[in-house]
Amino acid sequence: MNTSGFSRQPISRRTVLRGAGVTLALPWLEAMMPAATTNPAMPVRMAFLYMPNGVNTSAWAPQGVGRDFQLSPTLAPLAEFKDKIIVAQNLWNEASKDGDGHYVKEAAILTSTRISKTLGEDLNCHGVSMDQVAAQRAGDQTPLPSLELGISPEATGVDLAVGYTRVYGCHVAWSGPTTPLAREINPRSVYERLFRASGPQSSSAKQDTLLLDRVLGQARDLRAQVGTADRRRIDEYMSIVRGLEERTQRASSGRSTWKPKVPLNSAPTPPEEPKDYAEHVRLMLDMIALAFQSDTTRISTFMFGNAVSNVSFRWLDGVTAGHHDNSHHSNDPEKLKQYQLINKWYIAQYAYLLRKLQEAKEGEGSVLDNSAIIFASALSDGNSHNPHKLPVVVGGKAGGRIHSGQNLVFPEDTPLSNLWVSMLSAFGTPVERFADSTGPLPGILV
Amino acid sequence: MKIRHLLVSALLTSAPLSAYDAANARAFLAQHCESCHGAKIAYGSLNFNSLTPATLSTETERWTRISSRVRNSEMPPRTVPGPGVALSDRKAFLNWVDEGLHAEACAGGPVAGTSQIRRLNRDEYTATVRELLNIHLDVGHDLPADGAGGQGFDNAAEVLFLSPVLVEKYIDAAKESLEYAVKDSRARARIGIVEPGPGLLPAQAAHNILQGFLPRAFRRPVTEKETEPFMALFREAQKSHQTFDKSVVYMLRGVLLSPQFLFHAETPNPGTSPRLLDDYALASRLSYFLWGSMPDEMLFDLAEAGKLHEPEVLKEEVGLMLRSGKSMHFIESFVTQWLGTRELGRDFIPDPKIFPNYSADADLRGEIRFQPIVFFHSMVANNDPITDLVDSDWTILTRKLAGLYGIDRKNLRKDNQDQPHRVKLPPDSHRGGLLGMSAVLAVSSYPYRTSPVLRGKWVLDSILGTPPLPPPPNVPALEEHVGPAPKTMRERLAQHRKDPVCSSCHSSIDPIGFALENYDALGQWRNEDAGKPVDNSGELPDGTKFQGPEQLKAVLLQQKDLFVRNLTSRMLGYSLGRGLSPKDMCTVDSVIAQLRNNGYKSQVLIEAIVMSQPFQYQAGVPAGAPSSLSLKTKHTVTESR
Repeated sequence: MNTSGFSRQPISRRTVLRGAGVTLALPWLEAMMPAATTNPAMPVRMAFLYMPNGVNTSAWAPQGVGRDFQLSPTLAPLAEFKDKIIVAQNLWNEASKDGDGHYVKEAAILTSTRISKTLGEDLNCHGVSMDQVAAQRAGDQTPLPSLELGISPEATGVDLAVGYTRVYGCHVAWSGPTTPLAREINPRSVYERLFRASGPQSSSAKQDTLLLDRVLGQARDLRAQVGTADRRRIDEYMSIVRGLEERTQRASSGRSTWKPKVPLNSAPTPPEEPKDYAEHVRLMLDMIALAFQSDTTRISTFMFGNAVSNVSFRWLDGVTAGHHDNSHHSNDPEKLKQYQLINKWYIAQYAYLLRKLQEAKEGEGSVLDNSAIIFASALSDGNSHNPHKLPVVVGGKAGGRIHSGQNLVFPEDTPLSNLWVSMLSAFGTPVERFADSTGPLPGILV
Repeated sequence: MKIRHLLVSALLTSAPLSAYDAANARAFLAQHCESCHGAKIAYGSLNFNSLTPATLSTETERWTRISSRVRNSEMPPRTVPGPGVALSDRKAFLNWVDEGLHAEACAGGPVAGTSQIRRLNRDEYTATVRELLNIHLDVGHDLPADGAGGQGFDNAAEVLFLSPVLVEKYIDAAKESLEYAVKDSRARARIGIVEPGPGLLPAQAAHNILQGFLPRAFRRPVTEKETEPFMALFREAQKSHQTFDKSVVYMLRGVLLSPQFLFHAETPNPGTSPRLLDDYALASRLSYFLWGSMPDEMLFDLAEAGKLHEPEVLKEEVGLMLRSGKSMHFIESFVTQWLGTRELGRDFIPDPKIFPNYSADADLRGEIRFQPIVFFHSMVANNDPITDLVDSDWTILTRKLAGLYGIDRKNLRKDNQDQPHRVKLPPDSHRGGLLGMSAVLAVSSYPYRTSPVLRGKWVLDSILGTPPLPPPPNVPALEEHVGPAPKTMRERLAQHRKDPVCSSCHSSIDPIGFALENYDALGQWRNEDAGKPVDNSGELPDGTKFQGPEQLKAVLLQQKDLFVRNLTSRMLGYSLGRGLSPKDMCTVDSVIAQLRNNGYKSQVLIEAIVMSQPFQYQAGVPAGAPSSLSLKTKHTVTESR
């Protein structure tokens, strides 16, 4: 039974191809079956939270294996969720092992690919991010297919020292190999967008559809005039406009039975200008919680900072320097201590989101029970830009599809893409392979 | 292909070129390089047995990099035992490499280069809507910020991506700004709204609006056929009994969402050889370069008359445009991205506990941020040499900036001292050029302390255009050393430089930063740091010694060619809205030559760029370019590989 409301049309072959990424072989028939057959009673949500600069590895890994484990000092803020998280150890993205210390690792964390080294021309991540694979297949079930959020605006300039545009350092979500998705960083704007998207569609929706249709006509005219190389940009524009047109049409057609699971105005309107970094982070996490709770979207990515973020943590007790600065600790015990305090603060923010979702009741359980909230960094030790043993935690039970409450220690250098295979399965958009994956991670899926 | 810096300047003219050939280069490599980069050992996969001098014309990128490392004395490392490389040998080798690279890049003279379709970036969009509708709203405030590509600017075609959220924001912004505009009499006049009435049917009135509005929105003449889709929107709105104003809004929303409005789209050149841009396209390039916005009536008139491309007309117009207040958009955008000072107050905030004077004073914060912008503007307005950016006997001050810098207020003008103004600096002020400015000194520090490494890197990157190489990706932690821990930053860095891997770069980075140690992390002068006198001495790998900012700036001015090349490349990339390729280096050379012959006057830089081949011409379709079909095939292959 399709309870999601939005008319669920089986995806066309073309959609599949676009979402397929580099080496992703889809189980064709299954992918093109209506989603209803695999839908759980409550929709599953999936979020990915990215922390820059890696972790103090000496304080990260829990003791003990499987269900019997003790949280590490850094993971201590997750104590109340110990039976609702999975700590996944020894994963890595081999494709990003070198190139540079940050950009290759961060940009490809959800694509498991090796990005092209460039200051801009021929920018290419050679894949589609895991969240967008899910969004391209199930995003039409909700008003917004996915929600991309961040804190810092796009970083200025290009990094001439390493030869990468900083654009790479500002995106984890890629809808295609050459299209990083823009993020919203203003909590008020996000709130308003959620509000509009989930609210009753006004009578102007029909007008908007027509307007967008005319715009498509304009784009077709321009497309016919421009050179071959430029057509791709126009095609991108057309495809986005078409997507918005379809979304407006769906919402206003009367066929849609989607409605918000909680009213959007149950949450307070966030201020336009957060007073500091910590408040900004909380407000953005509130927006993810609101979006998930109301079911305005089921997929979100969030970046605590851009790659190489050196946001100052001097306001945090015991810390006197910035994040990136401390991550290059040179084994100085004081810097290592501060590095760990910063990591722990981020985990506490992660716990804050888990708590919000836990408090949001849904059916017999909570929204957290129906979510998979991933926290990760693209490095382990920041001092050496170590690509091995990535810090990864998954919170929530994904509608009972994952065995939470475990510290899972996989063989060294297990592909991170195997986790993405497991997550896509848990979300209800299974794939056979993703980038360099060798199968789902054992012990996670029910 | 990526371009660093091909140096073909003063060195070239002074060197005995004829005497040096590939055999000499081969001997140089054998003597100084092959013990580490040869058949037996090939560090960094660099083997001069296979990468012979004969590959200079084919492996341009690798040779560019080799040239850069040898120039910076990073290679061969000084730690290699033996007599080292004589400066004259090094220079002769570099001349040979650079001349070869240049000859390759410049085989056919300056070229037009590609001009990709690109959308208006956030700032351009905001300014254009403001100009088009004559409303004073920040209509683009909610648009996602744009990233940077190419020479480091957010107007680079290759990184102006599209996202659903961006298009949603375009829809909202168009609606909001038009609904605001139809209620404002000045905006109605600019749009050309004339109410229907006796003898003027609503459809005719709407058509009149479009005839005036559409060419301005598309920045070129439009055909009758092009007005039709928008007339259809108007009719649709009228059919559902909308008021005239609402119908006009609906119609114009269509215009503001058209890709013809949102993108810089020049009519492509179908031929195989470059052709002069049409005057409308030139008007757009010019106004987005110098104003960051759409052309004004004057530019449109000159384009319509077909006069804009005439050199005398164009030069005069450049002068007029630079004198207009709108040029501040260009200068702010260029300067803050070039110097990285855009981050000040965004991701980079000086620590409020250490710099309460900064955090408590919004005026001072603004004045610090604006100082380099107003400086650049004043330099251009006065046609001062661009070398003033490295060192100058004047700067831009306000009462508060003077206080921050410890400059006696009697040096300021008599009245209105709170406004930024040009001041002749007293002797020993330490405030000449960019390196005397708080904004620059702050963004090249940590928020809470200075870092000679960051400052040195900043100077090499932003001023000289010779960014140091990154540390190896998986740099090992520093070995635990024996004996007492080094106390000062200088001692720690000295230890760092003992490691030959670190030393190859840090020996050129750190000394520059040391010379600036008299400035704290907000750029305030200090003679002591943590109770100890500041040691502001530095020595470069080639033996050049200096002390303090004044001597450092003198050394930088000796490297004037590097600085001039860097600024020229960056501004050319900005003006074209794309990254430069090696082919563009010929244009850079020609602009530099004009600067050199004209005392490095700043207006010459801008004028020469506007008059250059890539700015005025469109490249043709190269023979054998892929058809749309083959492009598509390639794309699919990439995805399903």
